[in-house]
Amino acid sequence: MGALDGVKILDLSWGIAGPLGVMLLAEQGADVIKVEPPGGDPFRAYSGYAVWNRSRRSVTIDLKSPAGLEAMHRLVDDADVLVETFRPGVTERLGIGYDAMHARNPRLVYLSCPGYPDGHRLAQRPGYDALIQASSGQQWEQPGWRLGPIFLHMPMPSMGATFLIPSGILAALIARESTGRGQHVRTSLFQGALLYTTQIWQHVENADAAFHDLMGKSYPPGVHQQFLFECANGEWVHTSVMSGLTPTKSQDELLGLEDAPEPFAFMALSPEERDAFTQRRREQYKTHRRDELVAMFQEHNHAIEAVITAEEALGAAGTAHPQLVANGMVATVEDPELGTTTQMGVPINLLGTPGGIRGPQPLPGQHNREILGPLGYSDAEIATIAGGGA
Amino acid sequence: MSTALEGVLLVDFGQYLAGPFGPMIIGDLGAQVIKVEPVTGDGMRLAGKPFFGCQRGKQDIALDLKTPRGLEIALELIARADIVHHNMTAGVANKLGIGYADCKRVNPDVVYCNTWAYGLEGPLARFGGLDPLYQASAGLEYEAGAAHTGNDPLYYRFGMCDAANAMLSVVGSLAALYHQRVTGEGQELWTSLMDGGAVYSSDALLVNGEAVPRPRLDQGLHGIDACYRLYPTQDGWIQIAAVKESQWVALCGVLGVPELADDARFAVADLRQEHRAELEALLGERFAARTSVSWTHALDDAGVPNEIPLDSLGGELVLNDADNVALGMVAEYEHPRMGTMRQFGELVQFSDTPAPTRTAPPLVGQHTREILEWLGKDAATIDDLKAANVITWPGDDYPWIV
Repeated sequence: MGALDGVKILDLSWGIAGPLGVMLLAEQGADVIKVEPPGGDPFRAYSGYAVWNRSRRSVTIDLKSPAGLEAMHRLVDDADVLVETFRPGVTERLGIGYDAMHARNPRLVYLSCPGYPDGHRLAQRPGYDALIQASSGQQWEQPGWRLGPIFLHMPMPSMGATFLIPSGILAALIARESTGRGQHVRTSLFQGALLYTTQIWQHVENADAAFHDLMGKSYPPGVHQQFLFECANGEWVHTSVMSGLTPTKSQDELLGLEDAPEPFAFMALSPEERDAFTQRRREQYKTHRRDELVAMFQEHNHAIEAVITAEEALGAAGTAHPQLVANGMVATVEDPELGTTTQMGVPINLLGTPGGIRGPQPLPGQHNREILGPLGYSDAEIATIAGGGA
Repeated sequence: MSTALEGVLLVDFGQYLAGPFGPMIIGDLGAQVIKVEPVTGDGMRLAGKPFFGCQRGKQDIALDLKTPRGLEIALELIARADIVHHNMTAGVANKLGIGYADCKRVNPDVVYCNTWAYGLEGPLARFGGLDPLYQASAGLEYEAGAAHTGNDPLYYRFGMCDAANAMLSVVGSLAALYHQRVTGEGQELWTSLMDGGAVYSSDALLVNGEAVPRPRLDQGLHGIDACYRLYPTQDGWIQIAAVKESQWVALCGVLGVPELADDARFAVADLRQEHRAELEALLGERFAARTSVSWTHALDDAGVPNEIPLDSLGGELVLNDADNVALGMVAEYEHPRMGTMRQFGELVQFSDTPAPTRTAPPLVGQHTREILEWLGKDAATIDDLKAANVITWPGDDYPWIV
């Protein structure tokens, strides 16, 4: 059994944060119904959709028709949670706003995640991830190979919201255990972006320049960038000074730099001498093959990772990352459209109530009859609700 | 009116970031969080700012867990806890006497969460590690730097995998707590930096073992499509997101190159991706001819999604923005040494249960005395524990900067 067995979620979201955030709950046992417009979620062709929409059933409902709206209301009557990602004001116009749904079902936890919070001057602006990367100031924070804003390949505002959505839902479900009532839970992609500023954005009245410089943006990129090393054949590794273990040889010894200064002696060198040695060290890395270096460092208790693609981690080059495999994070899913796929597993491990992938992404409307039939609808009525299709 | 997680007590043995950040967020949702800190201080305090990023709202007891009396006090706290949370490496918690079995003995239905670097078992489980290693293993650094173009890989500056690990632990702990409230049964759970990194790359997919192409950055790190990227303007930058056909056509109109909308090379999204470099050069030339503000007005009028990237002066403009403040998204509190502090405020908001009143990151042992009094210790016992260095609280010789 899953920790969230018996929790029914209606997922009206699209994009990244809603589907992926809901997935985290679905794979701990929640029963999720993806509610799609006629013809299916328009973003279904997007990269990642097959993963982010798995472990749920799909029903297609034309919310703009009276029959569709009525069916939606009947689903709400029996739901614990509703998740929506429309711009503020849209659900009210559709007839599925918080006040009306709460009146129908006072136990409903209703989560909204637009691009920007309701009431913000930006609330009616488009909420695509990269736009919020820009407007929230995150692009300007990321260092890169040039000055100015840097596009974040990892969709940061959406990923932050991905975690905030299930966190908010669960907090409200826990509160409901004592109050007996659901409530409106609100977050946004903009707030998702703010999540990542926790270490770097603090206004501190008495802080000196050094306090802020420590975590400041630099050009060229600093801090952790210094621990990225090019190896033979143009491949790369990322090393660490900290592994939680006691190394049995130093990294310099392993590289073949036996005459390297001890860390304290190194810090005492002049900047020019340090740069010269760092350059020598970088050259030495290039004489080693990446995978040999990783094995050698790990054998001697140094934490190190090869710089690989996400597809390599899943096994595209032949072998998946062994720890990712050990974590159950390399999963095989038979997808109805794509065939045999390899994708991320379940990233939260509850040992008493283990989670699991509950099935591939559904086809649009695949479960129309299964979901709407028990509400008393005939096949003809289901076709009308679904906007004529299915 | 009570907060959403009113009455929930989390005991936080975490240090650095991936451990303590999750408890801070659970505290933001209304739980009471007690940080159990070594009398020698959380190692992250030396770094200053990042420590501040994951400790607000907590009460702090400084305790030497390696002494029998210190451990006893920790177990008294655990006995009252709903959630125990930490990020110690393999075996450390067991050795200290606060492993899951130890906690379960004093609190059978406790939720026990460990945030690892790698994972519970497996070839690398014994290792600790820092955030960027998992940016490497998850493919983030490869894509962030556009390494496929010959660039160096590039790390993200935001502690991405620390945050993912912490937030997965929030979701996992609250799912386990919900289950406990419904069934009465607690349990152990774990998350990791490595798996957190993988969540960020979860659009990666193999079909029959072969990689399915994903959108990639250009060499200049501007974006992933000619119509979804940053462009330099006459005086700065603009981010556009012309993702729908109608928006593409409108974009060509605004830029004064309506003929491109009819150009066979750019007829559909897939072709625009195929001829991306050509198209970016053509559009880039137009964007360079006017200022960011004139473009944003023109694009808004034509319905083309766009934003001018904000240089927030290290966050100051966002943390002092009137809308953000009015909507509760900025928190302000007084730190006993550092004065008035601001950080992000409410990231999740509840219609019926209010946000908790936030307090500044605590000093080492700032609440030692009141927590021990709450546990029923008398003044003589507390003074004796202090004299024996089992506990501490801030004095005039407080040695940390934060």
